Amino acid sequence: MAEISPSPAASADGPSPPPPPLEYDANTMRTTKPGVKRLFLTFSVLVSFLLGFPLLWKSIEIYRAPLPFDDIDSISRRIESNPPQFPCRFRAVFLGFDSAFQDVSGRVEGLKASIDDRMRGFAPEARHCGGCLSKYSVEVTVGAGDECVSSESVRGLDKHWCGVIGGVDFSQDDQIVDDELEGILRDENAYTVVVINDKVVAGMRSIVGKFKHAWIFGTVTVEEAVASTVEIFVKVFSNGGNDNGLVPGEFMPVGADGSIVLSFNLLNADPHSWVYDWDFNRIEEDMISSIVQGLKSIADISVESQVLHYTPKSSYSYWDDKHESNIFSTSDLPFFVNSNEWHLDTSVAAGGRSKILHFVVYIPSAKECPLKLQLADGTISETNGFISPMWGGVTVWNPLHCSHDKESHPRIFRKILPQDLEKIFEVLVGQIRQLFGLKSDEIFIGATSRSRMLASNKGFAEWELDFLARQHTCFNLNSCASTLGSLSRLVQSLPRMIIIDKIGKQVKHSVEAAKNAETQVSSGSFDAAAASSKQARSLAEDAFFDPSITSISYYSFEHCFAVYSPFFLPVTLHVVLAALREMKRYRQENRKYLTWKSKMEGKL
Amino acid sequence: MAGNHRLNPISLSLIVIFLLLTTATADEHEEVFTEELLLKPLPDRKVLSHFLFLSTSTAPAESNHRHLFPKSISQLVQKFHVIDMELSFTQGRWNYENWGGYEPLSSRNAKPPGVELWAIFDVPQEDVDSSWRGLTHSLSGLFCASINYLEHSTAYSTPEWGFQPSSGSLRYGTLPREAVCTENLTPWLKLLPCRDKAGISVLMDRPSIYRGFYHSQRLRLRVDKSGSSGTGSVIRLEQTLTVVLQPSYQRASFDPRIAGLQPSWSMSSLFGRKISGACVLARTSNVYLHLEKNLIATLKGMQQENFQAEVESSTLQNSFGSSVFELSDHPDEIIKEVNDSQDDDLSHMYKFSLGRLTVSGPFDLGIRWKKPVLWSCPKLPLRVSRFLMGSGNERGAIAITLTSPYKNEEFTLASGVLEACPLTINVFQVVPWYIKVYYHSLRLAVDGELQPTEDAFDKLRVLPSEDKVSPGVLELVLKLPCGFKSAALTVEFDKGFLHIDEYPPDANQGFDIPSAVITFPKFHPSMQFDIQRPDSNSSLFTGFEERVPVRAYTEVLLVPLTTPDFSMPYNVITITCTVFALYFGSLLNVLRRRAGEEERLLQSKGKKLSPLAQLVSKLTAKIRGRPLASSQSRASSSPFFINKKLVLKVVVVAGIAVAWQLFSN
Repeated sequence: MAEISPSPAASADGPSPPPPPLEYDANTMRTTKPGVKRLFLTFSVLVSFLLGFPLLWKSIEIYRAPLPFDDIDSISRRIESNPPQFPCRFRAVFLGFDSAFQDVSGRVEGLKASIDDRMRGFAPEARHCGGCLSKYSVEVTVGAGDECVSSESVRGLDKHWCGVIGGVDFSQDDQIVDDELEGILRDENAYTVVVINDKVVAGMRSIVGKFKHAWIFGTVTVEEAVASTVEIFVKVFSNGGNDNGLVPGEFMPVGADGSIVLSFNLLNADPHSWVYDWDFNRIEEDMISSIVQGLKSIADISVESQVLHYTPKSSYSYWDDKHESNIFSTSDLPFFVNSNEWHLDTSVAAGGRSKILHFVVYIPSAKECPLKLQLADGTISETNGFISPMWGGVTVWNPLHCSHDKESHPRIFRKILPQDLEKIFEVLVGQIRQLFGLKSDEIFIGATSRSRMLASNKGFAEWELDFLARQHTCFNLNSCASTLGSLSRLVQSLPRMIIIDKIGKQVKHSVEAAKNAETQVSSGSFDAAAASSKQARSLAEDAFFDPSITSISYYSFEHCFAVYSPFFLPVTLHVVLAALREMKRYRQENRKYLTWKSKMEGKL
Repeated sequence: MAGNHRLNPISLSLIVIFLLLTTATADEHEEVFTEELLLKPLPDRKVLSHFLFLSTSTAPAESNHRHLFPKSISQLVQKFHVIDMELSFTQGRWNYENWGGYEPLSSRNAKPPGVELWAIFDVPQEDVDSSWRGLTHSLSGLFCASINYLEHSTAYSTPEWGFQPSSGSLRYGTLPREAVCTENLTPWLKLLPCRDKAGISVLMDRPSIYRGFYHSQRLRLRVDKSGSSGTGSVIRLEQTLTVVLQPSYQRASFDPRIAGLQPSWSMSSLFGRKISGACVLARTSNVYLHLEKNLIATLKGMQQENFQAEVESSTLQNSFGSSVFELSDHPDEIIKEVNDSQDDDLSHMYKFSLGRLTVSGPFDLGIRWKKPVLWSCPKLPLRVSRFLMGSGNERGAIAITLTSPYKNEEFTLASGVLEACPLTINVFQVVPWYIKVYYHSLRLAVDGELQPTEDAFDKLRVLPSEDKVSPGVLELVLKLPCGFKSAALTVEFDKGFLHIDEYPPDANQGFDIPSAVITFPKFHPSMQFDIQRPDSNSSLFTGFEERVPVRAYTEVLLVPLTTPDFSMPYNVITITCTVFALYFGSLLNVLRRRAGEEERLLQSKGKKLSPLAQLVSKLTAKIRGRPLASSQSRASSSPFFINKKLVLKVVVVAGIAVAWQLFSN
């Protein structure tokens, strides 16, 4: 081991030492070349050590599925800076203005311009996400005399077309008129307002149908007609009958996986008074299933029901002589729902992140019957119910005669009569509409006109469904973008977090679905866009809430350092210092040798 | 109330007609709920109370609309296609000696401590496991218990015939250490239409029922696909709560002169509450007092006069009873057990219907004993016990002993089943994988003599455990000759090692081996009662009549395993790394050492030495075992040299620290 480097002293002890020259100084010179054996050894150790580092790095690497960070960023940026806007087609049909229009085709352009003008006035305030007013097109059709002229070339439009609409008898029942107009206008994928100037009828009536059209009927001037038409276009068809056309995102009652469970509960507050039951199957067939069908593009809805007993409300009510009933006021509403006794929440069907909306029909006990809701202005509520956003709705149903018949056996299960049940469910359907952000008033009061809204037996009119689809698309895209954005920020901030392949796939699909939804938005297919955006959101949420992310999968760098440093710190120190010392020594010895060599050469 | 004043005769008559109509349709109601309570004095001065609630639904299983039947349970059936399921939460052990073993009540309601869950699914074989996992998670959420731990394949097993005959879609799992408390009872009560607001369940005062010696809350779900109605399925949900309580001696009734007197009790003294009325939603609502066969026989023996005559004559008085005991209330009906063997000494059931309670005040059934009575209850055919053998942390053995509680002739007489010889006994035992059982070491000794395995084991199915995958399952049919005193079944095992993160938080407590299930397939205790009006709704009586084999659960075993020091990984890492680093460093030093040169250097220098340096060099020389003369120490510059090195090191460390700080930021 102890290899002795040839040194002057050592060679002096050797058997045949060359006689050192006189000028030789052992401290500054040596006669032989310094050996490289140890230098080579220490450096090979150092090099292999350094080579080993990447291997170690590789071996402690954790798996991270690649995520499309750029796509996520671009989507969030796009949606933030440029909220999705749907293209809408509006169409106004003016009939019966024979005297006002001499030059029909000239007037068509003029009307179109004035409608455009007025709508542009609304546009800036209504340019919210999911709106209709930044990419709209307006068509005007005027029928006067035998002529029927349109601003655009519309398929199937001829002079008979105006005649066909004009042939509808607008004085009959509104529902019939609505159906007849639907028969004529069905093929058009546009929101239509038909204005019929009829001098015979005094005054003006404006009706919004349950499909995609409205009509104004009566004695109207052109200016009035234009103003009302634009108002219906903007306030009703585009903004869904709301003032600003916005449903707050946090009040969107759809679960993260795009499904809703409608849970209907009949609560008998005190079975000692009476026990009521209902025939839910029938009411589901009659009323609920069409709503479920209508909202299909927005959410997957499942329906369930139960009857609960011994479920008193937790707020107080007092007897009021004037109304001859027990009164609970609006200030009691936050305490009405008794979460201790109302076991509404047990739904195994609602797994994951779906949303449950509870609808409660509360039957008061004999003591508190009849129970009525007093509104803030002192009047008695007609619906006798209230909603709680994102939770559901409650309606109080008082049995017809609040007599607690002592002799009748309480064990009799009374059924709520079908006509009563229908009334209850009309209220509940209204509550569903409200939870979705729609109004349930029959009259729409605008700045220039009052319009009657026709109620659909499906619960939602077609233009309302369109509005909801637009709103939900927008909300879903926003939520998807923000979820994906948070996920990407989280993943980037924790460089040692494990990301499994499933998450990578979900993010990829979510991004794809979001892109699909965006193209569908620009092409104007509302339902498809709503469906794609729903998928995008649910996938994004799935990825974000994946158990492997939420669990403690964070294997930090500090941990890694703590595990490996007891070995690598001392060893590295040894290896590096050894290499440095050898290097230093070699240079020193080499210098000695060179001095000696130069001396020898000089001597020679 | 206000509406009252406006009633006119026509509307009144309309209401009457309507009411009549609804009463007529009420009978066609698809969902029925009944409640029953059985009270029974036990020979060891305790009282058994057995609450039984039955909800049946004939509505199609796919229907999402429920009236009385709990919605969550029907959703379980829909989602996981359960056709039979039993879940029990138990605290305490059933005392088979004193509380009865050979009777329908105990073989159905005595359960192992902790949670036991088994379920049969109506799905293809390959989907059974996923259904089971889903079911455990749902139940865990429903009952606020850690049933979800049963989802791992190490926690459940697939018995074929040892537990009960099944077609492969049965899954069985237990959690012996699950604590049972009110948070499990409250969701269980939520499934009842009246919860604990009215009816029998009002008695469930939490402090009283959890003070008991045994507490078992059970839920049995059965779906009959080809239901009797023929149209759809029938879902039966049977919820039972079995509590064994110790009545306190009431001062008034306690007479210290009479030793061995049974304590007198009433509902209010047991539970601290009274029943104020039936649950209005229940079709039947009854309380029964059960006096078992041996007690009746003892009572008859004690009274020379005709017991029956006395009982009937005493019904005229305000209280009801005989010279031995007295009931606080008149039973509505006395139901007697009937038997083929013309035996007179059969058990009695006193029925109290709660339907009539609306007029009379709250119901508080009590019994007062006047004379001491001693009787014994029907025991198990064999006394079963299980224990651990061996010591240390390495190996051990499990032993199951079966001893006869009777003398030979007494046994055959008592059970009345001569044809049961030779005795057949099913043993079903699940062992966690970390207890590595050597099944070849399975031995049976009868009366101390080792039996050849081929004779003793009629049928044997062994599923060896797979590490971290599945538990070991032993299903065994023993054939034992009649008239033996005791038999012992032993099997040896090695204790395995767990991975560090597989240990539970309280690892030093030990690990539980779940109870073994011992079934006596040839013994079917059933009781037929002479019911005047056949009441099909009483699930209590249908349960008594059903022929269920006698079943007993053994004790839970606690096995201590070697538990590591849980900070061990870091210690190991540190010490190994240090040793490696030392070895590596010294090897490198030795490799590049130049011994000759060093010595020369020392010789050439070292004329002027400080006393301290001299001392050091002396010491090092001693240690190295070399003469002092040759090792003249380093240099006069030695302290300075050391300082330089020290400074260098400090600088290196500081540099690393600074670099690290920069890097991490």
